[in-house]
Amino acid sequence: MASTVASLSTPATFAAADVLPRRKAGGRVWFPLAARRCGGGFAVRSTGPATPPGISDKVSESIKKAEETCAEENVSGECAAAWDEVEELSAAASHARDKLKEDGDALENYCKDNAGTDECRTYDN
Amino acid sequence: MAICSAHTTTSLHSPCTTTVSNSGFRQKHVIFFTSSNRRSGGGRRHGGTRTFHVSCSVDKPVVIGLAADSGCGKSTFMRRLTSVFGGAAEPPKGGNPDSNTLISDTTTVICLDDYHSLDRTGRKEKGVTALDPRANNFDLMYEQVKAIKEGQAVEKPIYNHVTGLLDPPELITPPKIFVIEGLHPMFDERVRDLLDFSIYLDISDEVKFAWKIQRDMAERGHSLESIKASIEARKPDFDAYIDPQKQYADAVIEVLPTQLIPDDNEGKVLRVKLIMKEGVKHFNPVYLFDEGSSITWVPCGRKLTCSYPGIKFAYGPDTYFGNEVSVLEMDGQFDRLDELIYVESHLSNLSTKFYGEVTQQMLKHADFPGSNNGTGLFQTMIGLKIRDLYEQIVAERAGVPAEAAKV
Repeated sequence: MASTVASLSTPATFAAADVLPRRKAGGRVWFPLAARRCGGGFAVRSTGPATPPGISDKVSESIKKAEETCAEENVSGECAAAWDEVEELSAAASHARDKLKEDGDALENYCKDNAGTDECRTYDN
Repeated sequence: MAICSAHTTTSLHSPCTTTVSNSGFRQKHVIFFTSSNRRSGGGRRHGGTRTFHVSCSVDKPVVIGLAADSGCGKSTFMRRLTSVFGGAAEPPKGGNPDSNTLISDTTTVICLDDYHSLDRTGRKEKGVTALDPRANNFDLMYEQVKAIKEGQAVEKPIYNHVTGLLDPPELITPPKIFVIEGLHPMFDERVRDLLDFSIYLDISDEVKFAWKIQRDMAERGHSLESIKASIEARKPDFDAYIDPQKQYADAVIEVLPTQLIPDDNEGKVLRVKLIMKEGVKHFNPVYLFDEGSSITWVPCGRKLTCSYPGIKFAYGPDTYFGNEVSVLEMDGQFDRLDELIYVESHLSNLSTKFYGEVTQQMLKHADFPGSNNGTGLFQTMIGLKIRDLYEQIVAERAGVPAEAAKV
């Protein structure tokens, strides 16, 4: 993971890492996302797109509510139900990010066929 | 020519009979199943009555159940499964953008959260989690899965995970392969009996925690404490209602921390077990080297160089909840393509159509989580097994009525 590659002309809404994972030359095939998850050396933000604000707000609100509910009575069903809501919304947030990422991948697919264009240029540092 | 009205037969093995209405009188016909590779032939005369050629495989889906907790990789598994059949799974076109359904050429995947009887507010009021059977309508789940299995379309509710409300229903038509995924596919005995094959994803507490940190830490409002609190608060219901379903599964994928790195709790390197029930119709477990023996295998050595912490396989017979099973285990991860090919070439009974198909599938989705470890490998293998099971069932359906016709 020595070389850090960054796409400089990527629109700001895409995390560079989403546009990036390309097969490296030299016969070694990498598993890009897996490598990224394991703390690979990308200098840019590697967590992918941000959660849409609507869902993001719901997640943080639900956490606050769960903490309040459970502070009062932490053995009740309400406490479990409140944390279950947190889990449900966190999963929904994650799915929403995946969806945005898929849209980002559309650019990558475009670049497979149009590697020479400005928006698809990659640079080695 | 193809008339295949609503069937009432539930057995996969009985000839497909149906009642055809024809200008005011009703008459019973034997319908001949056809599979995709059927030799072409026109409508034949048979004993003076007309016979119909109908593709009943389309009308009577093979039903698969996939159980796992929220955030434990069901969607990744589904993407791998639909990919084995070719074609990508997409949400229904022009429908509710918050639909949980995925449709490909062959497969429809529905999420069982759609059968919540209590919406988010209702669960809060009653103090029950979504894991609790009281929050789910098993009668409707059973009726609709049964109807789909019999070849009838259904209007299935949609549970909206963003709003927490039940949205207006969507139409689900019978596909070739119908997958029900969610928290409770094997909870209700009636639903369980409709499944042609069932899978349980069993994620150990350590790994679940590590995965949820990965998923949620960047999310505003979340912290290590909130992630831990959520897992702990849901655990009693999880243990009571979700976990016991694994005893019914035909295949269990167990995900554990590695044993290759002492005291590792980062959850990055995984030990994954594939537990395959013996004696399941149309399902022959995968084996390593010698079927039924107990084997430990470290492929890394003179022929294959692996990077730290290496790869270790184990295989052997065992019992699981009183059932005979075969267990295949992989600890560690693949770093390079040649490692994966080397491993694939030493596994048998993979149900691949050509040499290297497992590797090809893994590479095709190298960006999916788990593509470099046992979760991706075993999910791909189960995908191939489901394809094989589907083809066997279709062939069997095509064969039985032909036999009956000879008599």
